Amino acid sequence: MSRFRRTVRQTMTIARRDFVATVFTPIFLLFLFAPMIFGAIGGTVGGLSASSMAGNKDRARVVAIVAPEHARAIAEADTRLRAVFRRDEAPPQLTTLAPGTDPARQAREAFAAKDYEASAVLYGPLDKPVVLYSGLGSRTADYLGVLAGQTLVAEKLGNALPAVSVTKTRFTRPRGAASNGRNPSAFFAVFGIFFLTLFLSGQVVGTMAEERSNKVVEVLAAAVPLESVFLGKLLGMFGVAVLFVAFWGTIVGNIGALMPPNLARELGSVAPATGTPAFGVLFACYFTTAYLLLGSVFLGVGAQATTMREIQLLSLPITFGQMAMFGLSAAAVAQPHSWIATFAEVFPLSSPFAMAGRAANRAEIWPHLLAIAWQLLWVGLFITVGARLFRRGVLQSGSARPWWKRAPAA
Amino acid sequence: MTDAAVSASGLVKLFGDRRVVDGVDLLVPAGAIYGVLGPNGAGKTTTLRMLLGIIEPDGGSRSLLGEAHPRDASDRVGYLPEERGLYPAMKAKEAIAFMGALRGLAWTTGRRRAVQLLERAGLGHAADTKIRKLSKGMAQLVQLLGSVVHEPDLLVLDEPFSGLDPVNQERLEALILAERDRGATVLFSTHVMAHAERLCDRLAIISGGKRRFEGTVNDARGMLPARVHYIPQRPGADVAAALPHDARPEGEAGAAGWHFEMPPEGIEKVLVRLIEAGHGIAGLSIERPGLHEAFVQIVGRDALEAAR
Repeated sequence: MSRFRRTVRQTMTIARRDFVATVFTPIFLLFLFAPMIFGAIGGTVGGLSASSMAGNKDRARVVAIVAPEHARAIAEADTRLRAVFRRDEAPPQLTTLAPGTDPARQAREAFAAKDYEASAVLYGPLDKPVVLYSGLGSRTADYLGVLAGQTLVAEKLGNALPAVSVTKTRFTRPRGAASNGRNPSAFFAVFGIFFLTLFLSGQVVGTMAEERSNKVVEVLAAAVPLESVFLGKLLGMFGVAVLFVAFWGTIVGNIGALMPPNLARELGSVAPATGTPAFGVLFACYFTTAYLLLGSVFLGVGAQATTMREIQLLSLPITFGQMAMFGLSAAAVAQPHSWIATFAEVFPLSSPFAMAGRAANRAEIWPHLLAIAWQLLWVGLFITVGARLFRRGVLQSGSARPWWKRAPAA
Repeated sequence: MTDAAVSASGLVKLFGDRRVVDGVDLLVPAGAIYGVLGPNGAGKTTTLRMLLGIIEPDGGSRSLLGEAHPRDASDRVGYLPEERGLYPAMKAKEAIAFMGALRGLAWTTGRRRAVQLLERAGLGHAADTKIRKLSKGMAQLVQLLGSVVHEPDLLVLDEPFSGLDPVNQERLEALILAERDRGATVLFSTHVMAHAERLCDRLAIISGGKRRFEGTVNDARGMLPARVHYIPQRPGADVAAALPHDARPEGEAGAAGWHFEMPPEGIEKVLVRLIEAGHGIAGLSIERPGLHEAFVQIVGRDALEAAR
């Protein structure tokens, strides 16, 4: 058997062991269903919280203390303006009050009303109104100012106010026509790979700890080159990640079929520059290389840790590192022709993210072939360095000294 | 394959500035049981690890089963490290099959052979038991079976007897002999002389990182003179005159006998003198020194004290 074939076989033996040892455990089910479990918990808590907030919102009001002759006009202006807001972004409902003898005092007292919660109160003449607001009601106060203006315009023009009838037609931008290169699918690509690797590649960091604590590492090191051990463990955990993605991809794909037509159309309008099929393949490739790159670094670093405590301590810098790569790549896709983009595409750890973004922004395919080869080269380098550090630090081999430094027998 | 299953020449390993292994030469004949003996910290494990390619030497050369690079022979080698290690969640037969798979044995063949080996070792009932549920001795035996499941040409065992009870030590000795009978070369390290004395065709004694002796057990024992115990038929004060100068009396004036080293020229002349002087021979025994005494002599009392 050739050395290469033997290496492949040994690597796959390690990968198989790690895959089986991870997947065929009850803990894996928890891992697999974690999004569902935590989604359900989050949804329940969020629902309760939203319900509570909705209750509070129902009581929130903007108050206009205006003469009765303005009350109808200001209510109509409010109805017109409110139509441009999304439901969650609309200001609180309008309540109008007739002014008393001291409108300023009446405005202050409105904040203490028991049947509603005022966030802003307007009083005085509509051309020079005074608006009081509480807490974060500054924007609501602005709204009351605009409302006063619109009320005056409507009153002045009366029936002469021209009725504007708008024709809205949806337009889908042709593929690659994003003149500024800021294709929304670019950000989706970067975020998608970041999201997947954030949760999945960090799993690799503690895998060598098992061998160290069980002292199996000596058995492995005697039979298999350490580089194969490292690569095998990485591939085993990548298999776990692929299983996870496939499982949730299938579920999300089926949920997608049940999506509201508007949302489905929105997603359908995401048009990567390379075309959807090529983009899908490149996305899968870059997810693979991103996982292998980050995983190989995490594996190498984690292999140096001697205790679970040290491994846990590593999780923070690892997360920061991933966030930094995401930030760099997000900046790159926002400025596709800048030096930041070039740097992010070349720097090995951000390259898969940035190149996935590039696939959405620019149509050329050949840079991706180059990038994938470049990224795989770095995977090899990281594994080699990680294995050497492990051999020196953990197996206490010292270094294999170069021949010119080798010691003669005494 | 050459006649030597393992050969090493001038192996050197430095940990920092310390020469842990200092110019060790080894030549393990194919088909032999070869022992590497030495006190704790002598450099035995480091030597074996270098031979197997787990760590690289800082000097010297080695070959394993005719391959200059140990990795190229890894599928034909079985290894039991000093620090035993198995995956606790694996079943016994899976653990054995896994170790075989690392050495190129198909999983299905590995599982089948694992069951056979476990049954032969009296552990057939534990084939589907997870390692974490086995006793330490049983787990150790499972690991040993894992190191022979692929029927290696060379079996390297680092302190294989440590931690085993006498029954399992017997089993292990039988397994080593069975491997030799199958045609495998067995190389093992130990600091327990009794096992080496019973098993080894040849042995090397390492101390302080250097090889102090290489040869057969008899060669080692032959490095020390035999001890003679003589009991005169008619004791008397003048018996000593007929004995070598180093003779020491036992009992009142040697009434219970005399001890002395076998003279280099043999015992015959001494016996002639004793008979001619009329002391007679009531008892005579010649005791050859054991490997233990030879080991102590070779390694030196200082090294032994340090090891303790």
